[in-house]
Amino acid sequence: MRGFRRRHWRADTAYDRVVGGPGGLRPAVAFLVPLGLLLMVWAVVVALFQVPARVFPSVGEVALAGVQSLSDGSLLHHTGQSLLRVLVGTVLAIAVSVPLGVAMSVSRVASAVLTPLFRFFSVLAGIAWIPIATLWFGYGFGAITFVIFNAVFFIVTYNTLLGVASIPLPLRYAAASLGAGPWRMLTEVLLPGALPNVVTGIRTGMGYAWRGLIAAEMIATNAGLGYMLFLARDFYRTEVILLGMIVIGALWLMIDRLLLAPVERATIERWGMVRRVG
Amino acid sequence: MKNLIIRGLSKTYLDPYAGAHVTAIADVSLEVVQGEFVSIVGPSGCGKSTLLNMIAGFIPPSRGEILLDGRSVKGPGPDRGVVFQSFALFPWKTVLGNVTFGPKMRGVPREERERIGREYLGLVGLAGAAGRYPAELSGGMQQRVGVARALANSPDLLLMDEPFASVDAQTRMTLQEELTRIWQERRPTILFVTHDVEEAVFLANRVIVLSSAPGRVLAELPVPLPRPRVWAPLVEDRDFKALVARVLGMVRPA
Amino acid sequence: MARALRLLGLTLRWAAAHPGLSSFAPFVPILALWALLAASGLFPAVFFPGPMEVLRVFGTLMYKGVLPDYLEDSVIRLAVGAAAGMALGIPLGVLVGVSRRAHRLGWPVLLFFQAIGDIAWLPILLIWFGFGLGTMTFVIVYTVLFPVVLNTVLGVRSVPLELTRAAQSLGAPRFHILLEVIVPGALPNIVTGLRNGLGYGWRALIAAEMIVGTSGIGFLMFDARRAGQVTEILLGMIVLGLLWYFVDGWLLVPLERATVERWGLVAR
Repeated sequence: MRGFRRRHWRADTAYDRVVGGPGGLRPAVAFLVPLGLLLMVWAVVVALFQVPARVFPSVGEVALAGVQSLSDGSLLHHTGQSLLRVLVGTVLAIAVSVPLGVAMSVSRVASAVLTPLFRFFSVLAGIAWIPIATLWFGYGFGAITFVIFNAVFFIVTYNTLLGVASIPLPLRYAAASLGAGPWRMLTEVLLPGALPNVVTGIRTGMGYAWRGLIAAEMIATNAGLGYMLFLARDFYRTEVILLGMIVIGALWLMIDRLLLAPVERATIERWGMVRRVG
Repeated sequence: MKNLIIRGLSKTYLDPYAGAHVTAIADVSLEVVQGEFVSIVGPSGCGKSTLLNMIAGFIPPSRGEILLDGRSVKGPGPDRGVVFQSFALFPWKTVLGNVTFGPKMRGVPREERERIGREYLGLVGLAGAAGRYPAELSGGMQQRVGVARALANSPDLLLMDEPFASVDAQTRMTLQEELTRIWQERRPTILFVTHDVEEAVFLANRVIVLSSAPGRVLAELPVPLPRPRVWAPLVEDRDFKALVARVLGMVRPA
Repeated sequence: MARALRLLGLTLRWAAAHPGLSSFAPFVPILALWALLAASGLFPAVFFPGPMEVLRVFGTLMYKGVLPDYLEDSVIRLAVGAAAGMALGIPLGVLVGVSRRAHRLGWPVLLFFQAIGDIAWLPILLIWFGFGLGTMTFVIVYTVLFPVVLNTVLGVRSVPLELTRAAQSLGAPRFHILLEVIVPGALPNIVTGLRNGLGYGWRALIAAEMIVGTSGIGFLMFDARRAGQVTEILLGMIVLGLLWYFVDGWLLVPLERATVERWGLVAR
C-alpha cells in the first residue's frame, strides 16, 4: 500500500512536470487549453467593453501585426538578434565558468576565498551592469552580450564551486582508492558530481540574462525584441507591444521548459540526487 | 458497545503503470469488540495497509461496509485515531502542540487541552519534552508522541499502521512493551497492522492472518498468553514460540 | 606574485581569527588589486576609477543627501512591492495548489505570465500609467508575485499526504487543515519563492528606475552614465550588492533559520 501511495503521488507530480515539457500530445493539449481560454476571454472582453486600441488591442489587431511583421521580416530580424545575443553570451559564459569553477574548487584556499566573492557578483548579475557596459562597449552588440555573459558567468561559476564542494568526501575517497588519478578524478567524479548544480546555475543565470537582455535592448540598441517593444511605445502601437510580449513569453517558456528543465531533470532526478531546498 | 464490524469488504484499484485492475483486498469480514487488542498480520503487499486506510476513511472501499458503533464509515473522523508508520507529526508544532491538536479541533479550551496533552505525554514517558520540536527527537520518541496524539483524542478505535517498523530493534521492543502497558491501563480498542509475526503475537489478544494478494482472512487465532507481557521471559516461552511458528507457517507456506 | 600570495595568507589568517568577518575577508585582496590596477594607469582613470575615488564620491553624495534619499526610495518601492506580491501570491498559490481544477487551468497561465517577465511590461505600462509610481509598483508586484505563487503551489503539493490524513483523523475541518497543515508545510517553498521573487524584483526595480525613473539607485546609475561618471556607476553597483547582502543575511536567512530549519524541513 505504501508503494501504491507513493507511486500514485509520483505519477501526479510527473503529470505536472510533463505538462510544459516534451512527452506526447495530451500534456501539450492540457497546457495549451487554458491559454486558449485566456485568449477567448481577451477577445470577448475587448469586444464587449469596446476597449480603445490605444489602451488594449484586440486579438485581431495583434494577429494582423504578427502577420505584417512576419511578412516584412522585422519580427524575425528582432527575434534573431535577441536569440543570437543570448546564445553568444551564454555559450561564452559557460565555456569560461565551468572550467574556472572546477579549477578553483580543486584548491581549498581558492574556493574558500572566492566563493563569497562570486556570491557577491552573482547578486549583481544582469541588469546592474547595463550602465557600465554601455560606457565600456558603447551601444550595441558588445554591451548587451556583456550583460548576458555577466548574468550567466557569475552564477554558473558560483554554482560550480558549490557543486564540487557538495560532492560527498567518501565518493572522492572511493574513487582514489579505486586508483583514479587527478585527471580521472576530475572527469569521472568532480565534473559529473557538480553537474546538477551547474545545470541549475545555468537555468537561473539564463533567467536573469533573458530579463537583462530585454532591459538592455530597450536602452542600448536598435534591434532586438526589447527595442521593438520600446519603439512601438513611441507610436502608441499597443498591438506591436502585445505581440512582442507574447513572443518574449513564448520564447522563454520554450527555452526553459523544452531545453533547460529537461536537462535539469535528466541529471538531478535520474541520478536520484535530491536538490537542496532553496 | 462500540464495536467495529466489517462485512464483505473489497478494494480494487487501477494500476496506472500496468494499466490493469488490481485487487488488493477481497471479501474481508471481521469484528473487533470494544476494549480488544487485535493484530492483523500478513506478508508484504497483502493489502493490510489498504484495509487499515479504508477503516480510517482515507480511501473508499470498492464493495462491502465498515460499521463503527453501528454507524457506517464515510471518511476520516476523530472517532478513529491513527498512528502512522512515518509518524506524521506536524514538524512546525511542538510536541505539546501535536498532542493537543485533536482537542483543539474539538474546541477544548486551552488550559484544559494542555492538561490533557501533558497527561498523555506523561503516559508515554515524555513529560519533559513538551516544548521541543519533533525534529529534535529520536525516532522512538517521535512515535511515542504519535501514540499520545492519537490517544489524547479519546478515539473509539486506535488504528496502528506498522507504527514501529521504522525504529531500531531495541527501541522497538521497548515501545512494544510500553504499548501493552498502556493498553492494560486504559483499555483502548486497538487494531494493529504489521508484517512482523512475533510483534503481532506479542501485542494482541487475537491475531488475524491475511493471505498474500489479494488479501483474504486466512485464520483468526486467540493469544491466551498472560499479561503483563515482557520480552525477556516470553522469547523463551513454549506457548509463545508455538503460536509464532503456527502463524509463520501460514504467512510463509513452505 | 609572491607578495600577493603573502597578502592572501595574511588575510586568511586574519579571517580565521575573526569568524564574523570571514565573509568580508576575501574582498580585501580584491580591493587591493583594484586599487593597484587603477593606480597603474593601465586603463584611463575616467573609465576605471580606483576605490578611493569611489569612496570620495560616496562621501560627497552622502553629504549632499542624494544617496540616502535615493536608497530610501528604492528600498521603500521594493518593500511595498514585496509585501503586496506576497499578500496576493500566497493565497493564490494555496488556491491553485489545493484545487485540482484551479491547478489544471491556472498552472499554464501562471507559467506563461511568469515567462513574459517584468521588464517586457514596461512599454505598455508606460502607455497606461505614464512615467510614474503606478508603472514602478506594477512591475515590482508582478515580478515578486509569480515566483511566490509558483513556489507556493509546489510547496502545497509537496506536503506529505500522511500529514493531511493525520489532521483529518484528528477531526480537523478543512479550513484548519489549510491553516495549520498546508500553509506551514508549504513554508519552505514559500520562503524560496520570496527569495527568488526579491532577487528578480530588485533587478526589475533597477531596470525600471533606469528606464522610467526619476529617483532611486537605478536612476542614479543611469544618470551618471549619461554624464559619463563611471565612479558613480561603480558606487551604485556596490551599494546594490551590499543592499542585497544585508536583505538576504539579516532578513531572509534568519527567517529561514527560525522556521524551516528549526522544524527540520531542510537538512543543512
